[in-house]
Amino acid sequence: MEEIVSNQQRSYKAQKVLERIEKKLNRQIVGSLAACVHCGMCTESCHYVLANPGDPTYAPAYKADKIRKLFKRHFDWTGSVLPGWVGARSVFTDEDLEDLKDTVFGKCTNCRRCTINCPMGVDYATFNRMMRGVLVSVGVMPEGVAVVSKDQWEIGNQMGVLKEDYIDTLEWLAEELEEEMGDQNATIPIDKENADIVYSINPREVKYDPRTISDAAKIFYQAGANWTMPSEGWDMTNFGLFSGDDDLGGAVARRLYEKVSELKGKKLVISECGHGYRSTRCEGQNWGQWDIDFVMESSVITMLNYIKEGRIKVDKSRNTTPVTFHDSCNNARSCGLFEEPRELLNLVVTDFREMYPNRSENYCCTGGGGAMSMSEYTPRRLKSAKIKADQLAETGASIVVTSCHNCVDGLSDLIKHYKLGMQVTQLVNLVANALVIEKKAAVPLPSSCPENG
Amino acid sequence: MSQFLHFAEHTLQEVALVFMALVYITRIRWLLKFKAGKERQASTGPGNTTPRKGIIYSWANIAMPWAMESSRKKPFFYFQFVIFHLGVVAAIGLSFIIPYAPDLLGSQMFVTIMRVMTGAACLVGLARIVRRISNIYIRAISSPDDYFSLILLTVWFFLAFLAAPNNYANTETHLLVYFILTAFFLAYVPFSKISHYLYYPFTRYYLGKTLGHRGVFPIKHGTTVRSKI
Repeated sequence: MEEIVSNQQRSYKAQKVLERIEKKLNRQIVGSLAACVHCGMCTESCHYVLANPGDPTYAPAYKADKIRKLFKRHFDWTGSVLPGWVGARSVFTDEDLEDLKDTVFGKCTNCRRCTINCPMGVDYATFNRMMRGVLVSVGVMPEGVAVVSKDQWEIGNQMGVLKEDYIDTLEWLAEELEEEMGDQNATIPIDKENADIVYSINPREVKYDPRTISDAAKIFYQAGANWTMPSEGWDMTNFGLFSGDDDLGGAVARRLYEKVSELKGKKLVISECGHGYRSTRCEGQNWGQWDIDFVMESSVITMLNYIKEGRIKVDKSRNTTPVTFHDSCNNARSCGLFEEPRELLNLVVTDFREMYPNRSENYCCTGGGGAMSMSEYTPRRLKSAKIKADQLAETGASIVVTSCHNCVDGLSDLIKHYKLGMQVTQLVNLVANALVIEKKAAVPLPSSCPENG
Repeated sequence: MSQFLHFAEHTLQEVALVFMALVYITRIRWLLKFKAGKERQASTGPGNTTPRKGIIYSWANIAMPWAMESSRKKPFFYFQFVIFHLGVVAAIGLSFIIPYAPDLLGSQMFVTIMRVMTGAACLVGLARIVRRISNIYIRAISSPDDYFSLILLTVWFFLAFLAAPNNYANTETHLLVYFILTAFFLAYVPFSKISHYLYYPFTRYYLGKTLGHRGVFPIKHGTTVRSKI
């Protein structure tokens, strides 16, 4: 990095930011930073722009330029020689970094909708995340990001759920399941070795929505699955995705991978969580530089396969309320998971209404990118959610289904804010509700039951 | 033809081209020195997508206005893009045809086609200048290079329009200005945003490779209920 001749003293943090950007640059990021032609095609793809007409500071290219200016000034030719000509600019003060923080954390959920609408293939979300990571490394971040990251580093999950509370929860859920099914084999095995399935969850399920755990357990039981849940490393969510901290991302992912390997599990099934699925299934191995000896899949795919294979039977007439489906950005635009949820939904409900646009072009729930943990940006987030609210209202559905816990919170918030009167639920709840319970004889299950790999 | 015009049509262009090529080679080498991120995980998605399909889909994006919502919703804007870039092809083409294959310009039909392409592109350029100045979003993201590049190209299209007949019987001025500006253009382009076409294959390659591996590309569109959005 060339030294910049400037009379202006640079703060220690600003200097570190510039040094660390250089270390983070890879070919994809450099290409995205260099290729933008300021055509503005990305502008109307962004929910922030649509909800704040006339304010150009929300336009993806404008936000991206906050980072691009630094790149041009310090790592690109013309920007180094004639910075003013190409809009290159450096950072000098901690206030400059606070301004950057407001953009990269407060004006973007990294939903990638602009990416798929850019003719040049500029992936703004990727270098926005990069910038978040650099700011986090010098302690510039929203308070919520610091708190959640700390919990995930120290306690092992991003909601600070202690091990004893997690185990207690699983145990009382198992007791209820056994009582409901009248079968002592209807349980939640913990740390069972050589299981076909190791099931990992979002800590939100333990803390706020244990019903999703018991619903999953019921489905596994009915399918005769040889499954288990780990006692540690069970959190498949990953705040490293939101904070941009690859070290945290790798550590959290490896914790789970190592536990699955320790238990000799054949398949890691990830419960419904957009960023958790993306982090664990698609990013964790890259962050942690880790290869695994088991397969991974979303619980959506697991449930769909169970129905198609006849391992569970469902009666869709139990779910007659009109529903619509919200595609989580991380599932749809970063992992290609948008057909299986629809296929599953059509098997368990009678009235499914698509919203428009959908699949990989769907709009963000506005709760993504860690936004739910950044309360200082709540008013801005809720304002930008008008677009989603309009989408939901247009369908006439009473329930919105999603495969992401962040989206559950984001959608619940905006439904309340815009008084839509809708409920939010997940696929596991609908499947469990449609499940045709077949009483099993109370005999020990075989030690393994084949699972599709 | 004067010696000055001959120099402008030949030597000046050749030197400028070599300069541009050398700078572009340096630029590509600079880009390639950055390590490319890799995907360790197994592929995701519907199962019929691959990195290769994603790359091809991504590269072809420019010729598929239906593929992106941004171009699908603004077909006239996409049409302008096509006209503008066809004008670039014509103007660049003329800088080679005039010195090396002037006989082609003996065909009135050919000259007319070149003039229509460059003239239409010039009009689009003017429209884009107005847009860049008047649209609050575009104005907010525009640097001096954005304005200058657009004005440079628009003027260049106009000069190409004048140069197309290759008629220097009465005056050589229009041809001289066209070729001098072309040489300047060749020297300036590698340092401006006009060089975006150099990055296009790379950015779209990596985006397509990743999103193809993850089952996102080719994008599948599903429409049932149409929203007012």
